[in-house]
Formats: sequence, structure tokens, C-alpha cells
Amino acid sequence: MLKGILLAWTLVWIWATLQGVVFQLRAPDKAFASMVRCFAPMPVAYVALHLLTPADLGVLPERAVGGSESMSLLNGLMLLILLFLTGVLFYYHADRSITVRLLIEMMRAPQQRMTLDQMQAVCGVEVLMHDRLHTMAMNGFLVERDGVYHLAPKGRVGGLAGAIARRMLAMKAL
Amino acid sequence: MKGLTLAAAAFLLIVVGSALALRVYRGHKEFKVFLAAFAAATLGYVAAYPLTPADLGFLPAGWLEPFTPVDFANGLVALALVFHGFWCFAYFACLSPSMGVMVALRARGARGISAAEALAMQGREEPVNLIFQRRLPKLVEGGYVSEEGGTYRLLPPGERVAALGVFLKRLINADAPLVGSRPC
Repeated sequence: MLKGILLAWTLVWIWATLQGVVFQLRAPDKAFASMVRCFAPMPVAYVALHLLTPADLGVLPERAVGGSESMSLLNGLMLLILLFLTGVLFYYHADRSITVRLLIEMMRAPQQRMTLDQMQAVCGVEVLMHDRLHTMAMNGFLVERDGVYHLAPKGRVGGLAGAIARRMLAMKAL
Repeated sequence: MKGLTLAAAAFLLIVVGSALALRVYRGHKEFKVFLAAFAAATLGYVAAYPLTPADLGFLPAGWLEPFTPVDFANGLVALALVFHGFWCFAYFACLSPSMGVMVALRARGARGISAAEALAMQGREEPVNLIFQRRLPKLVEGGYVSEEGGTYRLLPPGERVAALGVFLKRLINADAPLVGSRPC
């Protein structure tokens, strides 16, 4: 099992490094699509490496080798995908967090002070909602007709998931 | 496989436990509920692992990992990753303004929503937008920001978080305004 785990961690770091280079060269319009594109060869590479490399990878101690090869393959594949999804979530933590953005704006403000009006001007609901509506339309969750937004099929699935989660988790929604 | 099976059971406890706890929790720090559920599930996993048989009474012999420390750690890592995903999903589903729009649109059916109505949902007409009503008191309570006479000042813990945020945004090249990236 350790072989699959090591291969998964190695490949996810390779993907993260490549993705970082891609973002630095040109920030893509659709970040998630870019991440999926860059990651797509990794599961294939993982399976190929798992099948072609020796059970001990030439470095693993004897006691860590053994067990079912197919379980090792599947476990590593699951880990690879979980790590990728975690990486995607970290991207969104950095890119989308309203709280972090607010703190950054305060850090850049003279004497690191801002009034509520100043905060609402740079990071308020108008800036936020116009941007979010535009992005949801760009990513196919909403369609705009005559200045009115409607749910696209992808948005219907998202809205249903959100409604179920809100009912189940009972957090104070915004 | 024993580790993953126990991790799956622990994750189920996290989902059910946090859903039940959030129904009775009256505060504004829901993250504590999630962290407490994760801590309890992790403790349960750590306690159950040495106390249960290697095959848990039902796993086929071919599925068992002979090197126990790897199996134990593998389950723990999987539990942490899945919990992180669940936590993010819960916050996104319940608190994200984007999700708010999709949920509202689902309820409205064919009527749709204009940009002005979406803005009204976020309390544009109120003196303090909803996004600030929720976040600013938490930042003040958490010691990240102080409030003096209507002016908010960044405190050292807040500055550290902001510096980390700037660093992460530079890593993903999202510091400058970009199409598809959020100004906020």
C-alpha cells in the first residue's frame, strides 16, 4: 500500500508545481478547468507507474512491501484524487475568501485603518455580487436573458445541493 | 483497508454529529462545531484502531494491509482530507453568496433574478452589508481587527493572516485583478 501512497504524493506535488507555473505564466480565465486539464494525465501516469515499477520502488523497506497490489493501486488512486481536490480547495481559499481579502485591503490601507464605508467601497456587496454573477454566468451556472439571471442545468444541480446542505446543516446563511 | 473502513465510519459520525450539533448550537462560531466533531471522530478512530480485529470481522483477507502503521496513517490522512472537503462544502453551501443566488433562483423557478435583486439579498440597502454583518464582529472578537469610533484597525494577528493571504495569492497569480478571479 505504501508504494501507491508514495506515488500519489509524488504525482500530486508534480501537478502542484506545474499548476503553479501555469498560473504564473498566465492566470487562466477558468481556474478549475485549468486545474483539471493539468491534472488529467496524473491518474494515467499513476496507474502506469504503479504497474511498471517494482513493489518496493527500490527504496521501501521489506516490511512495508506486501499486501494486495490491486488494493495498493486503488488506495493510491483514491489518495491522488483526494489530494487533488484538497489542492483545488486551497486554491479557492486563497482566491475567494472574502475575509482574507478584507484583511489584505486593511493591510494596504494608510495606517492599516479603514472605515466601514471604505471597506464596503472596496470589498462590499456591489463589488462582490457583480463579480460573482458574472463568473457564475461565465462558468455555465447561470444564463443571463434581458438583464435577468436564470439557472442553467449546472446551476440547478448546485442549487439543489445547496438547498439540501442548508436544510441539513442549519448554518446561518447569507 | 481496516484504516479506511474505520475512517469511513468516523466520517459518517462527523457528518451526522455536526448536523445534529448545528441544530442546537446558538453561537456564531460554527467552525468550532466542525472542529469538535472532527476531534471526536479522530479520537474515536485512534481508540478503535488498536481495539478492533485486523479484518474488523468482515474484511476479506486479500484486502488487509500487512504493515499496520501504514494502514493506520492512511486511514487518518483520508479522514482528514475528506473532513476538509466536507467542511469547505458546508461553508460554501451555507454561506457563499454565489450559492445563495443559486438557492434563491431554485425557489423562484422561471422568474429569475436581476442583479439589483441579488444585491438586495445581500443587504445593499442596509447600513452594513450582510457580508460585513457576519464577518466584522468575528474579526473583532477573534482579535484580528479592533474597532475605535467607527474605524477598524488591523491588529498583528490579522496582519499575519493578510500576509499569508498575499503570499498565497501571489502563488496562484491572483493578486492582481483578473478575469475569473475575485476582487473580493
